[in-house]
Amino acid sequence: MRMHRSIATLAILALAATLAGGAAVQAEDKTLAIGLLGPLSGGAASYGVELLRGAELRVEEINKTGLKVGADTYRIKLVSYDHKAQAADTATATNKLIFQDKVKYIIGNAVGATCNAAQTITEPNKVMFSFVCWGTNNLAPEKPYSFRSMLSQWELAEPFYRWVKENHPKIKRVAAISPNDTSGKDTNTAVVKALKALGFEVAADEYYERGTKDFYPVLTKILAQKPDMIDVAAAPPGEAGLILKQAMELGFKGAKGWTAGINPFTIISVAGPEAAEGVWSPANINVKGDHVSAAVRKFGETYEKRYGEVPGAIAVANYAAFDVFTQAMQKAGSVDTDKVLAVLTKEQFQTVWGPLALGGKETYGIDRQFLYPLVISEVRQGKVVDIAQVLPAALKKK
Amino acid sequence: MPIELLVQALLNGFGVAVVYILVALGLTLIFSILEVINFAHGEFYMLGGFAAYYLFAVGGLNYVVTLVLAVLLVGLAGVVAERLVFRHLWGRTLNAFIVSLGLLWVLQATAQLSFGVLDKSVPSAVSGIVRVGVVVVSRERLFVILTAVALIVGLQLFLTFTRTAQAMRAVPQDADAAALQGVNIELVSALGFGIGCALAGAAGALLAPIFAVSPTMGALPVVKAFIIIIVGGMGSLPGAVLGGLLLGAVEGVGTLFMSSAAVNILGFLMVIAILLLRPRGLLGAA
Repeated sequence: MRMHRSIATLAILALAATLAGGAAVQAEDKTLAIGLLGPLSGGAASYGVELLRGAELRVEEINKTGLKVGADTYRIKLVSYDHKAQAADTATATNKLIFQDKVKYIIGNAVGATCNAAQTITEPNKVMFSFVCWGTNNLAPEKPYSFRSMLSQWELAEPFYRWVKENHPKIKRVAAISPNDTSGKDTNTAVVKALKALGFEVAADEYYERGTKDFYPVLTKILAQKPDMIDVAAAPPGEAGLILKQAMELGFKGAKGWTAGINPFTIISVAGPEAAEGVWSPANINVKGDHVSAAVRKFGETYEKRYGEVPGAIAVANYAAFDVFTQAMQKAGSVDTDKVLAVLTKEQFQTVWGPLALGGKETYGIDRQFLYPLVISEVRQGKVVDIAQVLPAALKKK
Repeated sequence: MPIELLVQALLNGFGVAVVYILVALGLTLIFSILEVINFAHGEFYMLGGFAAYYLFAVGGLNYVVTLVLAVLLVGLAGVVAERLVFRHLWGRTLNAFIVSLGLLWVLQATAQLSFGVLDKSVPSAVSGIVRVGVVVVSRERLFVILTAVALIVGLQLFLTFTRTAQAMRAVPQDADAAALQGVNIELVSALGFGIGCALAGAAGALLAPIFAVSPTMGALPVVKAFIIIIVGGMGSLPGAVLGGLLLGAVEGVGTLFMSSAAVNILGFLMVIAILLLRPRGLLGAA
């Protein structure tokens, strides 16, 4: 009887200790809600899914120990919404994040027009907003709380085509094709500018509507201009794959580039190894390649194990963006956006990309572009092979 | 402009239009029998695409067997939809129209949950190209065009020469009189809906290796199909064929002269012109 009483007492004490301990942890830790926007369904869903997965993995890592900022420890709560690549849905989702979920940081968004829609709400409310949208006007002096966490066409096109010129001098005429929207227009503009500056001929500067599946008509027009190379500039992986596949069907045998190509593995699966053969991509990161850090390789392994797919540059970019912002919070000793902003623009950060700095003032009028080395990869027999590493012009000057 | 470029553009336009004609034929068949404007018709096209993906790309079945199974499975899905939903809405065209919009979202969301949101690639069943002078067409597209033409001809023969098809035509004219003549109205209704959906399924399965498949893939074909049947005439099968070929020609050749955004407008301009000048369509009944 006495023994039973002792066990009961011990059990009650243990339970009380556990409850007290739990209460202590809860009292110590604060919750920091961080928002994420993206097309999680529809034709551009691959972008949003990568953003979300990259964020999820970094948040899980941070939450294992908690994020120590000054005297406080934060657990990050990731709040994500699907905007289906639609500007109207983005505005609704951004309002929800800021006014309902009370976020002060939105780390992750894709598709240029949606970034513009979100910025009309994030900027007046001083909400830090990082994205992978490639619209040129997404970064501007009047948008101090906006950041691009991935190299854009303006940082990629010039070094990429300089490399093409130096290594493939027979290529003279280049055709660029992109979706008919902000991202596409800006990318083709950057490509055409780089081509002209480097002495190439622009064989075609074409656009198509997002969601297009039949590219025969527009390709017929492009191929009539006899290009030596087709650049599926800002086309998302699914559409880029179809363009290359259908170009091959129409007899195109020239060089192939993908200035904004962020995941050649996807293009191989859509176009097939034959049509994807030889595609050069300067925006990609090959997480299994020779030019990446051990940190990226580890991230790639974890990602593939968890999701069954190889991550592309967007996943890595958003993973790195969470790193940059949380490091900045720690350096600032605060989660206050103005204090974090001051640190962000001054410091360099160690990320999976390697050393990362903010730049871009010459192009955008403000240093809000993440800068890091770019790797040019090529599809060879169904595999993605790194073939060169080059620095964006702006990073060279840093 | 070089003539071969024009020929290539026309071939490009007809190549896809002939498949959209299949979708339009299904849509107009359903309308002519049940008077249902089925906005969810594109989702049956999507189901055909996914049937091809799972049977051919994942299951490794022969492509022709896949096509047959896709047609049967989607046709069966159409029969189920008719029995569970549309049969109860006979004579209530507006209600059926709204319900079809709901069905569209239900099928699309279910597909997103079941199949995932990303595009899925279906490997080519037929490889190589056919070149006539400078005009080029892939064997895969040629196979699609010939199969679609065969299905259109087969449907026309079925509708012209079989007693079942006579019954299908009789029901919308006077259902009571048809019933008095021994026509099983419920069977005809289910069969008509099933065949209409099967045609959309065939189109989806045919285009799956060319365009890849996704839960939202039905949106574009159904818009094209509506343009085709409004231009050709609601309820007219020859009209759907004519409307499809016209749309294919206009879009194929239009791309040579204008941007893709402008080309997309051409189809709708055709619709506006037809509705203003000849509301019953080119070959529709008065």
